[in-house]
Amino acid sequence: MLLPVTFPILAGMVLLLKKEFQKRSALLFYVGGVLVFTAAAALYAIFGIREGVTLFHLTKTLPVYFKLDAVGRYFSLTLVVVWVLAGFFSFEYMKHEKNEKRFFGFYLIVFGVLLGLDFAGNLITMYLFYELMTLTSMPFVLHTQTKESIMAGLRYLFFSFAGAYMALFGIYFISRYGTTLNFTQGGVIELSVLQEHSGLFLVVTFFMLLGFGVKAGMFPLHAWLPTAHPVAPGPASAVLSGIIVKGGVLAVIRVVYQLIGVSFLRGTWVQTAWIALTLVTVFMGSMLAFGEPVLKKRLAYSTVSQLSYILFGLAVMQPEAFSGALLHVSAHAFIKVALFLCASAIIYRTGATRVEELRGIGKGMPVTLWCYTIVSLGLIGIPPASGFASKWHLAMGALDSGIAVFSWLGPVVLLISALLTAGYLLPVTMQGFFPGEGFDASRFENKEPSYQMLVPLLVFAALTILIGLAPNPITDAFLAFAAQVM
Amino acid sequence: MNAICLFLVVLIPCAGGILVPLVPWKKRSHMMVYLEGVVILNSILVWTLLFHRPDEIFSLVDFTGNLTIAFQLDGLGTVFAGLVSFLWPLATLYAFEYMTKERHEKMFFMFYTITYGVTLGISLAENFLTMYCFYELLTLVTLPLVMHTMTREAILASRKYLYYSIGGAAFAFIGMIFVITYGDSISFVLGGVMNAAKLADGKNLFLLIYVFSFFGFGVKAAVCPFNSWLPQAGVAPTPVTALLHAVAVVKSGAFAIMRLTFYCFGAEFLRGTWAQYLLMAVVMFTIVYGCSMAVKETHLKRRLAYSTISNLSYILFGVLIMTPLGLVGALSHMVFHAFMKICSFFCAGAIMHQSERHYIHQLDGFARKMPKVFAIFTVSAFALIGVPGLCGFISKWNLATAAVGSGNILSYFGVAALLLSALLTAIYMLGIVVRAYFPAADFDYETIADVKDPNWKMLLPLFVFAVAIVGFGLCSEPFTNLFLAVAHGSF
Amino acid sequence: MEIIRNFPCLSILLAMFSAIISSALKGRWARRLNTFVVTAVGILSACTLYFTHVTGKSYVYVMGHFPAPFGNEIRFGSLEAGMALFFCVIMLLSLNGGRHKLRIDIDPAKENLYYIMVDLLLSSLLALVYTNDLFTAYVFVEINTIAACGLIMIMESGRAIEAATRYMIMSLLGSGLFLIGLCMLYDMTGHLLMSNIQQSVREIASSGTYMIPLLVTIALIVVGLAIKSALFPFHAWLPDAYGYSTVSSAAMLSSLVSKGYIFLLIKIIYRVIGFDIFVGSRIINVLFVFGLAGMIMGSTSAIRENDIRRMISYSSVAQIGYIYMGFGLGTPVGMAASVFHILSHAATKSLLFVSGVGLTDVSGDHKEFIELTGAGYRNICAGLAFTAGSLSMVGIPLFSGFISKLLFSQAAVQSNLKMLPTLIVLAISTVLNAIYFMKTVIRIYTPVESKYESVSVKKNSLYAFTLFCFIALNVVLGMCSQPITDWITQGLSVFA
Repeated sequence: MLLPVTFPILAGMVLLLKKEFQKRSALLFYVGGVLVFTAAAALYAIFGIREGVTLFHLTKTLPVYFKLDAVGRYFSLTLVVVWVLAGFFSFEYMKHEKNEKRFFGFYLIVFGVLLGLDFAGNLITMYLFYELMTLTSMPFVLHTQTKESIMAGLRYLFFSFAGAYMALFGIYFISRYGTTLNFTQGGVIELSVLQEHSGLFLVVTFFMLLGFGVKAGMFPLHAWLPTAHPVAPGPASAVLSGIIVKGGVLAVIRVVYQLIGVSFLRGTWVQTAWIALTLVTVFMGSMLAFGEPVLKKRLAYSTVSQLSYILFGLAVMQPEAFSGALLHVSAHAFIKVALFLCASAIIYRTGATRVEELRGIGKGMPVTLWCYTIVSLGLIGIPPASGFASKWHLAMGALDSGIAVFSWLGPVVLLISALLTAGYLLPVTMQGFFPGEGFDASRFENKEPSYQMLVPLLVFAALTILIGLAPNPITDAFLAFAAQVM
Repeated sequence: MNAICLFLVVLIPCAGGILVPLVPWKKRSHMMVYLEGVVILNSILVWTLLFHRPDEIFSLVDFTGNLTIAFQLDGLGTVFAGLVSFLWPLATLYAFEYMTKERHEKMFFMFYTITYGVTLGISLAENFLTMYCFYELLTLVTLPLVMHTMTREAILASRKYLYYSIGGAAFAFIGMIFVITYGDSISFVLGGVMNAAKLADGKNLFLLIYVFSFFGFGVKAAVCPFNSWLPQAGVAPTPVTALLHAVAVVKSGAFAIMRLTFYCFGAEFLRGTWAQYLLMAVVMFTIVYGCSMAVKETHLKRRLAYSTISNLSYILFGVLIMTPLGLVGALSHMVFHAFMKICSFFCAGAIMHQSERHYIHQLDGFARKMPKVFAIFTVSAFALIGVPGLCGFISKWNLATAAVGSGNILSYFGVAALLLSALLTAIYMLGIVVRAYFPAADFDYETIADVKDPNWKMLLPLFVFAVAIVGFGLCSEPFTNLFLAVAHGSF
Repeated sequence: MEIIRNFPCLSILLAMFSAIISSALKGRWARRLNTFVVTAVGILSACTLYFTHVTGKSYVYVMGHFPAPFGNEIRFGSLEAGMALFFCVIMLLSLNGGRHKLRIDIDPAKENLYYIMVDLLLSSLLALVYTNDLFTAYVFVEINTIAACGLIMIMESGRAIEAATRYMIMSLLGSGLFLIGLCMLYDMTGHLLMSNIQQSVREIASSGTYMIPLLVTIALIVVGLAIKSALFPFHAWLPDAYGYSTVSSAAMLSSLVSKGYIFLLIKIIYRVIGFDIFVGSRIINVLFVFGLAGMIMGSTSAIRENDIRRMISYSSVAQIGYIYMGFGLGTPVGMAASVFHILSHAATKSLLFVSGVGLTDVSGDHKEFIELTGAGYRNICAGLAFTAGSLSMVGIPLFSGFISKLLFSQAAVQSNLKMLPTLIVLAISTVLNAIYFMKTVIRIYTPVESKYESVSVKKNSLYAFTLFCFIALNVVLGMCSQPITDWITQGLSVFA
């Protein structure tokens, strides 16, 4: 269980410290080998290991402890699939970027760190990897070393740390009022001890939600995301937007459902405020994406909006919405990674970044654009692609939750946002395939990328459809999980 | 061990230091070997003492009546003496290399070594009077070190340092008078020595005196509004800034406040009083103020100095929680911060020594030219920020849990201040790291072609500190246990 | 041991006759005689001290043939004897330290005149210390004034003469007030001997008559002596008098003359007015406030000063403030602290004056700070001694200044109302002291390419030895203060 966490980290550090490879292929071979090996080890850990492992004690009461439960398995599985595929995509893509070795070094390290985050069995371990995730993923943002990217990197850093410390504030309190810091279904807070301090504790919880919400791009601390994600190299922005933001979601699940406990929060002002914030974010993210001309930025705003779908599902604290939210985790991961990879492929081949430059691109890059279209439909929520299933569950759960205004306002906002999603994603397809009369598409001739890029795209598109067709195993599993925690 | 050793460890560095300018050294290396020998020998003696503690007290002279200069090794003293004696040989080694570019080496090393003895004197003091004496001496022997370069700036800085320190001591003196008058004895006893019956009469007066002496000692610990000497004193050579203004001198202030709070006035007496709230508010302000100034500052060493101001107030915050756990937090931050800050200062010194660059905006792309130094700097930066797995996290954790556990509303805000400061720390430390590793894309490495890593004398201490930072972070349990034992008086 | 009873009287006479003999001698011989006399008086005082300390009592020695309540009396206990010994030591050291400078400063033909003045000064000091008779005290106060004027004027420079005139006027004002007080006291009590006056004063106080005249008397005497010992705000004469006279004079004026008056005041407080009556009058509050103000104002003036000698002089104003503040506390402990500070300040201030002249000598006789830069390297002894003196003034442990600070604050803590002001002013005054003394120390150790020659230790061994004795005296006062404080407390208790 430790192997998949430590191995890529060490391998990545070795890569960073090593001298340049003589040949590029040697580098790729090394990275590919590590990725595959780690993925295999991680898969074995995900499916094979049930009991927890304590690595060592930071202090007497703070062990670094790994244990996988349903949520952890699910997140790490998604992670492994996306990371390996995006990795292979980047072999081709990174040709046109400098400092490849550094990129791949950190790519491997972040892989290990994220696995550690997903495997973490207690709050401290999770926090440890959460911080490391911020630090090790920052080089992605900084990679191009332009003034813009450095500013974005510092902003990313600032927001992430601000969030982490708001969360840490809460961690201190949980360690004071909780029986343990291990993730336990239903929460660890001793309500009898807490009684007189519950008002304070609610404030603290709210800060924790805001803090972890930073990573998930929740309003009001979302401003870093649209600047940080697009400046990274293509595959990096894909995993930043598809996977790393999910770290915040995971942390929120852990804290709300497995430490503080739903019973404590349900019906309090914290829940109300939280739902309100997520809905604001959903709407605002879509609106901003709608008005954004640069494709990658548009996708980043879309991430802001989509992540809050998930958070909304978590915030209503209702089993069906919970399962919908978790379904959306993997659905959004695959879709958003695919979208970013499409955008990167286009940049790689044509250099076009703005939406209006993509007119007629379907002529030259039909496979890429088809993949784009399929996953876009998934994100909008058109059956049979995956987004439909998750949104359905979200909406049903919300309607069923019985929270005064939000039980109907929530689904309405989701619907409006879905329309906006269609509005900002589909024009690319429309104009790409139908540039209009007399459009000269010759500059896109034969720009289809190589199979190294296409295969991951196709796999993601297929996965999107697959989850959309058969979401039940996932939703059932999480309905069961929800029954335990609620 | 015989109790006289307690005095010997104070005496050896003083005598060894005074010899330096008197002996006509043929070669520089002879002096180096001699000094390093004295310092290492003394450190070994200290550590032997720590493990075979003499129980009895060694009295040197009787001042007046019951006022004696006496030495004893107790739990708190063990921590500080152990810390100081571990760092000094490494810092001396580093100083040999660093001082090749400075003048008046002999005077420098004389005072540098004497300071070692005086600092040990503070940590081994058995009573308030002894501590006060060494505290004053510390000001005097470190003064020439601050003045060392003898530039106008250095002289102004050292004057300021002197006035602040002496003024602080003058107010601490008031506290001493009260302890002498109203205490059952002037020895340090965990839980305080003040006579309960006398205390009850004029509680507010005693609290006022406590506040006075807190600020008095707080001058050395750079508590707001008496902090401005510290960044200015950064004109001193880096071994001084690193060891004295990040560890020995400033921590002596914090140490004295621990003695004052827990061993003289008694935490029981002070807890929940207006004095505690007032000082806590001041300390919290200092925490945030120091960090904010550090963010604003563009001079590398001064930025680190501001960071020290903030971190020292972490320690004081721990003390002011006034619970045993608070003391544990304070002690762990005292020890861990020493390693982190001396490490980052030595990196800064290495940069200045190798490249003569003092400002942060000149450090673009340095990481490629000085990879080892910057790797270690990054470790210390992460530790200062409080990344889990490094020692800074442990001490912050101890502080924050103590604060949350104390149930005092103000200390919740203290936790918030700690975290805000951690965030600002991330900005000012990582700002440097990012700049060094990721210069702008069009950066021309030719402009820093002559910059390279320093030699082993500088790198060895750095490396040891970096290992210690990671080591403490990963297995802090023995240390926390030690601190717990100290705080509960069972050590 | 009966013969020892004659020693105090003998030493006064010895000093007086040596003055008379000196007028017939040449300068060199006058100097030798003076050295001999001071040493002899010191030895006599040491014997007396030993004797009184062992017996623990005080003795009265009747001069002439008239018994009390008429006639003249000398009274001595251990405190008086110790003071006399201490004054001799300081005088000897000050003269030795300034001897080299003295030869330069004064006309060789007048050297014997100088030593006449010194002898007179010694005899008057001894008389002030030993006397049990207020009128004798007054006479010797005047002699003291004249001798001191002579010591200032001997330089014959314009400023010295101006300073001496000023000193003369202020001093005479002080003696005048003292005399009026004396007359009123005589009027009320009909006595001049201290013990008899005290009895009458007690009766007056208990009967409740003459309360206002009594208060006025106390005020007059205290103010008179305060002017003469330069208590703030009566200090205007001091900086010039100390700053422009030759160094031995300055050292003796600051550490002996003013201290003699203060000692007389202590004696009057205890033996004439009675300690409790003195405390009962509100005069002590005035003294307390003036003392505190002096501590601050003296130091602030010193900070502004650009001349090292005048700076040291202003520092005396602050230190005199300490002593009066100790009186003002109105407790025996406060008095004891004041007495200790008399010793400590005398030892330190003369050290500073003597070492200060060493520094100015190697800076082309300039007293401005800018010229003193690096002087500590040019005259190593003087530099070290000045540093030691400064540290003592600032109150660094191991030096005498620390002990006086300690005693003052311990005394202050016993008084409810005056505690906080005292402690805070003490702290502030410490900072101020640090500012001007340490600034000077840093200045003299700032290396500079200097145009002045440096002086080696060997060439000036007497000077170096003197400084060494001063420093040793300081450190002894600082390290082994317990016997000294015991002695002071015992001496004060014998007084009453």
